[in-house]
Amino acid sequence: MTKLESNTSAQLSWETLSLRERERLMAATGQGASRRDMLGLLGALGIGASFGGTLIGAATTAHAQTPKKGGKIRVAGFGSSTADTLDPAKQSYSTDYCRCTMFYNGLTELDDTMNPKLALAESIESDKATVWTIKLKKGVQFHNGKELTSEDVVFSLKRHHDPATGSKAKALADLMKEIVATGTHEVKITLSGPNADFPVVLGTYHFLIAQAGTTDFSKGIGTGPFKCKEFTPGVRSIAVKNENYWKQGAGPYVDEIEFFGIPDVGARVNALLAGDVHMIGNVNPASAKNILGTKGFAILETKSGNYTDLVMRADSAPGNNPDFVLGMKYLMNREQIKRNAFQGYAEIANDHPVPPLNRYFAADIPQRKFDPEKAKFHLNKAGALSSTLPVVTSPAATGSVEMGLLLQQAAQGIGMKIDLKQVPADGYWSNYWMKVPVGYGNINPRPTADILFSLFFASTAAWNESAWKNDKFDQLMIAARAETDETKRKQMYTDMQVLIHETSGIGVPVFISGLDAHSEKLKGLRPMGTGSMMGYSFGEHVWLDA
Amino acid sequence: MSAAARLTRWIAPAIVLFWLAMAFIGPLISPYDPAVIQDADLFEAMSRAYWLGTDYFGRDMLSRIIAGTRYTVGIALVATMISVGSGLLLGLAASAIGGVFDMALSRFLDALISIPSKMFGLVVVAAFGSSMPVLILTLGIIYLPGCYRIVRSVAVNVAALDFVTVARARGEGTFYVMLREILPNMIGPVLADFGLRFIYVVLLLSSLSFLGLGVQPPEADWGSLVRENIGGLPYGAPAVIFPALAIASLTISVNLTIDGFFGPQERGH
Amino acid sequence: MNALIGRLLLQRLVAAIATLWFVATAVFIITNLLPGDVAQELLGQSATPDAVAGLRKALGLDVPPFERYLSWLGHLAMGDPGKSLVNGMPVATLIGSRLGNSLLLAGITALVAVPIALLLGITAAVARGSLYDRIVGAGTILVVSVPEFLVASVAVLIFAVHLKWVPALSQLGRINGVWDVIRVFALPVFTLTCVIVAQMARMTRAALIDALSSSYVEMAILKGASRSRIILQHALPNAIGPIANAIAFSLSFLLGGVIIVETIFNYPGIAKLMVDGVATRDLPLVQACAMLFCGAYLILVTAADIAAIVANPRLRHQ
Repeated sequence: MTKLESNTSAQLSWETLSLRERERLMAATGQGASRRDMLGLLGALGIGASFGGTLIGAATTAHAQTPKKGGKIRVAGFGSSTADTLDPAKQSYSTDYCRCTMFYNGLTELDDTMNPKLALAESIESDKATVWTIKLKKGVQFHNGKELTSEDVVFSLKRHHDPATGSKAKALADLMKEIVATGTHEVKITLSGPNADFPVVLGTYHFLIAQAGTTDFSKGIGTGPFKCKEFTPGVRSIAVKNENYWKQGAGPYVDEIEFFGIPDVGARVNALLAGDVHMIGNVNPASAKNILGTKGFAILETKSGNYTDLVMRADSAPGNNPDFVLGMKYLMNREQIKRNAFQGYAEIANDHPVPPLNRYFAADIPQRKFDPEKAKFHLNKAGALSSTLPVVTSPAATGSVEMGLLLQQAAQGIGMKIDLKQVPADGYWSNYWMKVPVGYGNINPRPTADILFSLFFASTAAWNESAWKNDKFDQLMIAARAETDETKRKQMYTDMQVLIHETSGIGVPVFISGLDAHSEKLKGLRPMGTGSMMGYSFGEHVWLDA
Repeated sequence: MSAAARLTRWIAPAIVLFWLAMAFIGPLISPYDPAVIQDADLFEAMSRAYWLGTDYFGRDMLSRIIAGTRYTVGIALVATMISVGSGLLLGLAASAIGGVFDMALSRFLDALISIPSKMFGLVVVAAFGSSMPVLILTLGIIYLPGCYRIVRSVAVNVAALDFVTVARARGEGTFYVMLREILPNMIGPVLADFGLRFIYVVLLLSSLSFLGLGVQPPEADWGSLVRENIGGLPYGAPAVIFPALAIASLTISVNLTIDGFFGPQERGH
Repeated sequence: MNALIGRLLLQRLVAAIATLWFVATAVFIITNLLPGDVAQELLGQSATPDAVAGLRKALGLDVPPFERYLSWLGHLAMGDPGKSLVNGMPVATLIGSRLGNSLLLAGITALVAVPIALLLGITAAVARGSLYDRIVGAGTILVVSVPEFLVASVAVLIFAVHLKWVPALSQLGRINGVWDVIRVFALPVFTLTCVIVAQMARMTRAALIDALSSSYVEMAILKGASRSRIILQHALPNAIGPIANAIAFSLSFLLGGVIIVETIFNYPGIAKLMVDGVATRDLPLVQACAMLFCGAYLILVTAADIAAIVANPRLRHQ
């Protein structure tokens, strides 16, 4: 029996601390308490050390300031088109996530280190991680005054199963075999198999809760910290503070957020520097240098699990030769990719998809390094040195064009010819990704290792990028879902990462940091493991120091 | 004509010739491989090693501009030839054949003109992918109707002149009249039009590249070079200024050259 | 004269309908050739075969193209461009929300650019061959030769980022009063003016010079009429035709050709709407935008022809 309730130590987070506890923490960090004092204090409060790490970071930047209320802010995201949506199921871009987190809540939400915390749920209990009983908080109101009931939850979750909805999370939703209301404030969800991470899945963007029977989602009626005053796809949204918000003692602080997209990165940076907006999302590394050099502006760097990987398909030549795959992995100059393609805003990765901030990250696997000699040996053995290798890159996969160029240069060094084929971003995912023998993919961060593995590495996964099939991996993945012993579970995840690192056809050179920029007047920002712009939920946390 | 005036008269054609020559011999004199990342900083300033600095990725800018000449000048030249060549052919045919053929063709090409050129380019390039043949054909087709109109109106005017009437009276065939009497009289206007179309094509190609639909990396025409390095604009990186200057120097020089040889060109017809 | 205009209008109307039908068909064919469809674009990486098939069916894309073409054409003829495949909103609503913005930008630019162009063109023609004429000539060449994205980027950098005189974005939601209108529109209007003023000014000059060399103007000069009288009363009316044509052409550019300005200043106009439509394969939207540009062009050209007839004494008295 797994149980997730507020006030258990694992789920303790900043918002659930009492005001006095927060003051003590802030005072300690602000006055330069040593790390040991700090950890002692955290221990006394029952907070794990990993969480303390992030909190210390937050305290040093916020420096004991109490959030001020009021003010209107303008924020520009990077994508905006007529496809903009307030339908939680259809969200595709960060612009949508930013908006939907203002207007809706999920049953759970993910904290700084991607652990689930209760949101609309009062408690979540499971039987063998398969049958989940979710009790809802009482008295939570939608923006139109209706009270949240189980009916709304069933509606919001079931929608994903209907292909006509066009849900982006259909694959994840198919995990839920049965969703039934067992009371006005209780829902029972039966999964197709055990999954200890289910509360995390419920905390992802697509499973935000809307009102039952909603057909027109453009009004943004949810239970979230802001109400939707105006929304025009491709133009802007205006969110006003929800005075009736169910969460107490925290945000929202600002009165109004005008949010819109500026697709052109140059225009976005100019808008920030000219004072038109308070924050912009998705800055490129070259502009970051410029922003850092300008007084009054700062960069918010978010280390994330986002990666662009070299994909070598195992179902065709040359990717079906293990020596070829290994040789190519040795041919990636990770340091150079980090420096030249991302100007240092990246973390070296080790050919598996789990980022260091994930609790199941296997730190002990020896780092694979740029090694032209080994590359030459393996590639020669695979017979790849004599022919020209076509590699497909596209602006659709962030940094792949630059990574391709660097790969081409490294190949030249060992006498191998690579023919780079750059294709447009338009249609890349449908027409090239997973269809060409050697090309690039780009995978957005996922909150759990299990989601990453089941979406991209299970033998039967629809997006198994390199057509990698490994029975041992599949068995471990299923077993890990049901495993509730943390130590055993961690070992299983380590074994799976080793398998991917050694035998799969993907090369992950670096994890790319998310870069946002903001005026220094905007406070309360801190990097969150869930994604850029505070996991796209900055709205609830920021405040204006006018 | 003063020495200074003579000098200015020849500067513009000299710049045009310079860029044309660069398109052909560029790779021979390029100091570095334009695609190779140098052991240099990003957006480096001008130096002895890198005359025009480096780009956002640490590549030599001079080499990249030289390599870009081939794309910008080459694509624009071929596209202009296509549009002026087929405009000339169709215009002559329309004026010689006349009747329903003339009307149908004129209406058809009018319809083509009515779609904004950038939109047309965007849709077509998105539809067929941004490859060299697609770019060249798209640009060529966009400017075909304008050229057709001019050729047709000049041809109709010339056809009404006395010497053409005399030739027809001699019993010469339509094609003889077209080749021997009408065509030689339109060389001037057509050449001038060629220059103008060339400028339009260069500017439109640069715009498409700026929107990310032009020549695709790692290759780059001048417009793509501006786009790639636009992040360096706030601190005046040479990587963004020089490709922009290259575009302007080419278009201005072609414009001035046409004016120098044919007098100011307007479209009064 | 009325009969003449009436006949012209009727002719144009018939030709316009034919042209629009042709453009509609061409646009339908080209947009259907776009690789990938709206279902794939919407689902992106999540485009598994069954998800795509389900969404396609829901959007009515499983109907054969020719049937879709007929039904689309039928609705269009009745003034209904259909619904967006991407967000389900009526295309007319989407276009309506942007068209006003585009017309506003085009209108303000025309108000600024047309008088400047006419002034430059007329004065250059009057002072033909002078230093002033040559400066105008060289200046217009210079302006028309620089790519607009460069003009816009440099202008933003100087006036918005460094001097902070104007905002970097042109947002209509933040306008309170006339001063804001000027600030918000200053940069885009400046950029667009650079693009269109040269063509119009040079055309005006050429048309006037052409008219000034005609026999009846020479007659008026011989009769001893004053210079300004000659230009305004005799030459200008004859030059209206080509000038109006140049203006019509520039105005049609202002509606659909301003994608770069809309991109750099993040202005919510119709061009960006169409580019969005292309990117997301929202065919009804793309088709409607193309029809709109085509229709606007035809109206403007016809208006220029009528202006030429009304202004030209010779045509007027036919």
